[in-house]
Amino acid sequence: MADPVEQSPNGSFATAQEVHHQLGALTRQLHDSLTGLGLAAKVKGWAGELPDAKSRLSYIARLTGEAAEKVLNEVDQAKAQHDFIATETRRIGELIVKDPVAAVAKGHVLNFVHDVENASKKVDQHLTEIMMAQDFHDLTGQVIAKVVNLAATIEEQLVLLLIKTAPPEAAIKAAPTHEPYVPALDGPVVNGNDNPDVVTDQSQVDDLLASLGF
Amino acid sequence: MSKELRFLIVDDFSTMRRIVRNLLKESGYADADEAEDGVVALQKLRNTSFDFVVSDINMPNMNGFQLLSEIKKDDKLKHLPVLMVTAEARKEDIVMAAQQGAAGYIVKPFTKATLEDKVNHILTKMGLK
Repeated sequence: MADPVEQSPNGSFATAQEVHHQLGALTRQLHDSLTGLGLAAKVKGWAGELPDAKSRLSYIARLTGEAAEKVLNEVDQAKAQHDFIATETRRIGELIVKDPVAAVAKGHVLNFVHDVENASKKVDQHLTEIMMAQDFHDLTGQVIAKVVNLAATIEEQLVLLLIKTAPPEAAIKAAPTHEPYVPALDGPVVNGNDNPDVVTDQSQVDDLLASLGF
Repeated sequence: MSKELRFLIVDDFSTMRRIVRNLLKESGYADADEAEDGVVALQKLRNTSFDFVVSDINMPNMNGFQLLSEIKKDDKLKHLPVLMVTAEARKEDIVMAAQQGAAGYIVKPFTKATLEDKVNHILTKMGLK
């Protein structure tokens, strides 16, 4: 005997088989409605775009994660250099207070100047890397815009479907829908290794242009 | 001489404009202005003198390809080197940019060294450095 899985409004239970049949009927009804309204092709398009949207969201998660890790690593290294400068400054200060002439004569002051100069250069490099890590904002922003557009298009079409299939007494006048935004360009490469038509790094750009004589 | 060159950085993301501006400054090119799309860039190019354009491609209102095309059609601007810095990585886009007269093409994400190399290479090629 089939398991009762759902209680109907009148209190009786539907079997799993009945629920399965109901789902099948609903699916056929939805399919027929979509086909009748000429939306089947659009739904097929969404089905193709949804996995792409998943890849794009994964790309965002990866890029933001990498950026955060890079920034934290660079901050750690910059702080280490800063600590070094602070420690050396205290040390040379003590040496100068103790014996200023010896501090200069023995080269402590000059060594300190060189050390600080080198450490400052390293700190500057870390700051540049921290700045470069912020490029994730541009790259993920473009990808987010595409996913948002896809969601908006699906929502708009579902609302349209709802309006067109609503019973007459519940029908409302549909507001004219604006044309969905179709990005003219692809934006960042999310799965570059799987696509021979795109480049994945700068060396491939340079090779391509060189091969064409540019 | 090279430090007096004036750059126009075109990108719809302010973060990226700041990054490029700071990198150019670190490379010795401190004189730079910014534009958020091709329309604003074209206005600035026609109203002020620039020596170099660094442009994104995917932008609202007027994209980088359209901007490049407008620059190359304009007798007063067509001499300007235009370096594309973009996330667009399709080979056909890269080839199209070169055919339309772009002086160079950098794909995002990029490094400081890449930007510096490309800018210096273009300036050397044009006898500006």
